[in-house]
Amino acid sequence: MPGPKKDGLIIWHYDFALSTFYEVETESIEGLVPKRLAAVQVAPGVSLINLTALNFPAGGLDSLPEFQELILSVIVSPDLSRGVPASAMHVISLGSTNAEHLDHCVSYYKLPVYGQFTKADLQHDPHTALYEDSHGPIARLRNVHPSPDYFEGERYFQAFVEEGDELYVADIVMKGQLYEHQDANDSDEFWNHPFFRSINLTDAEPTVFMQIFNQPSTPGEQFYPRPEKFG
Amino acid sequence: MAGQRPAQGVANPAKINMIPDDGKDSHYTDFTFDMFLSSAGKDHAEITRFNQWRDQVMDAHMYTFQVPHLGAQRPEVSVRRVTGERLDLISFASYNYLGYSYHPEVLAAARQALETYGLGATGSPVLNGTFQIHEELEARLIEFFGLPGYGVSLFSSGYGANLGVVSAFAHKGDYVVLDRLSHASLVDGALLSQATVKLFRHNDVAHLERVLNRLDHRHARILVCTEGVYSADGDTGHVADLVHVAKRFGAAVLVDEAHSLLVAGPSGRGVAEEQGVLEEVDMIIATFSKSFGGVGGCLVARENLTNYVNWYARSRMFSCALDPAVTGGLIKSLELAAGPDGQAKRVRIHKNAEYLRDKLRGKVDLGTSHSWIIPVIYGDEHRTIPLNEYLQREGLDMSLMGFPAVPKNEARIRMFVTSEHTEEQLDRGAEIVLQAAQEFDFLLPDAELSSVQRST
Repeated sequence: MPGPKKDGLIIWHYDFALSTFYEVETESIEGLVPKRLAAVQVAPGVSLINLTALNFPAGGLDSLPEFQELILSVIVSPDLSRGVPASAMHVISLGSTNAEHLDHCVSYYKLPVYGQFTKADLQHDPHTALYEDSHGPIARLRNVHPSPDYFEGERYFQAFVEEGDELYVADIVMKGQLYEHQDANDSDEFWNHPFFRSINLTDAEPTVFMQIFNQPSTPGEQFYPRPEKFG
Repeated sequence: MAGQRPAQGVANPAKINMIPDDGKDSHYTDFTFDMFLSSAGKDHAEITRFNQWRDQVMDAHMYTFQVPHLGAQRPEVSVRRVTGERLDLISFASYNYLGYSYHPEVLAAARQALETYGLGATGSPVLNGTFQIHEELEARLIEFFGLPGYGVSLFSSGYGANLGVVSAFAHKGDYVVLDRLSHASLVDGALLSQATVKLFRHNDVAHLERVLNRLDHRHARILVCTEGVYSADGDTGHVADLVHVAKRFGAAVLVDEAHSLLVAGPSGRGVAEEQGVLEEVDMIIATFSKSFGGVGGCLVARENLTNYVNWYARSRMFSCALDPAVTGGLIKSLELAAGPDGQAKRVRIHKNAEYLRDKLRGKVDLGTSHSWIIPVIYGDEHRTIPLNEYLQREGLDMSLMGFPAVPKNEARIRMFVTSEHTEEQLDRGAEIVLQAAQEFDFLLPDAELSSVQRST
């Protein structure tokens, strides 16, 4: 089997990453998943969504100034012919504080851009992220683990995106001082907001299934090649 | 605009955490069971990847799964490793809690049944597969439970019992409400039923109440499922509290006593008996492959329900009936367990479990166990294969469990204590586990190292 191609690879430099997987009812996200993909079920009728908050310092992505992004995905079965990822995501919404970054995400990565945020408040201690735009607050994420034991590590993910009838996939590797855990805790806060597309997270009462985050202020790298056609 | 940057200094970052075709760039410890569950795309890449992983483990001579045992599941067993080596081990891996799988009287009863009825039942129990010996087992079980108006429905496996009972009882439009840590057989039964499945947090009665409150409990049929003893943590189901809440909502309750029947309760009738709610439970599931020492399972419930399940549980209707020899052995196991032999063994298994727990307490993380299943939490699931290899080499047959069966970083050795373990075997088991805890760095921080050494 061919390994993943590294053509079109861009290395993004981040210094804040807080990625949380939440349990939601499968029926609440099924309609967002293309037919060729299947939402993972961790228990009967229970699937996962992921919200990842990232901060890119000035120069973290070419000449762009510091900006923050928030990505919403549904966790789907990976394409194991490409490799064995920690998880595979079908990206359904992406927002950022930087308009140029959003343009790049559309043109280069085919990502489903929601729009520009007016505010992103990322705190290092405690490790929290709050996003807002003209519709109001979107989400407040929090590291729910009291004493992370960071390790120098990498995590490989697959990111699926849809453009028209076509599906595309990219192999993403995150490197940094990481920690992951499964301490269930319902401390995060969501508002009913168009960023979440048709998922009503305020009703869904999502439960933290797993979290992966980096040690705030330590440099991390995201290896993100241009997506290629799937199948 | 942000242009494309060259990938400086990284040979092939996207190959990290992969099993490449040459099998060299990754390590088998990087992977967990869930990673090969399914794959998108037309080819069956999950099969290819799983076999690549398995081959890596095999090539490293680290494959410790499905190791053939060379004799009965006694406290001391011999196994044949994939390398061809024979290892003599102390077993803490078997569910043979009362040692009945090799009890001479049980074996004699099985032999006699074999002579009378032949090797297999050769048919569905509803058609030609029911023998007189099956009816005798049913009668003995009814007598053992002492519940008037109750019947028994026999299944050829415990998995089949849960699968068949849940899917016969609940249907589309109904609700099956499961403890989050329910066994796969209950989960699969719920899925097969096509009912709506709801989960409540493990043993969390308040959460169950919230879940039930959200259902249309005045009109819909609801089945709440729990277990007597949960095998991942060795903790006991809060059966009495769950029953009381479920009854307020008009829900039926199923208790799977797979790991607790013949062991828990004053007369061995399980956790429901121990918690004083035996008669309030609507369905009791028993498994014969654990303390009975055989194989199979059954439903104990009101006779009108068992009559129905006999016909409509597909895993029963479309499976061959219980093996006659096993059935003969089960009758004897039950007879022994119901009498002085069972009483003595119950005292011993509880004593043995406490003895082993005392040896380990304060030195390693034992979780919430207070039963004969003692988990020793070593944390990182990526250490499972080398740890199991180490334990086997040092002389233990163990059952290890990791993510996704338990939360990430909470992988564990499960020690199944039996009434048949001697003090010396328990000492040796604790000694090797503590040795492993030092070697693999899961000794508790304040554990006294001197006390880890074997006390002689």
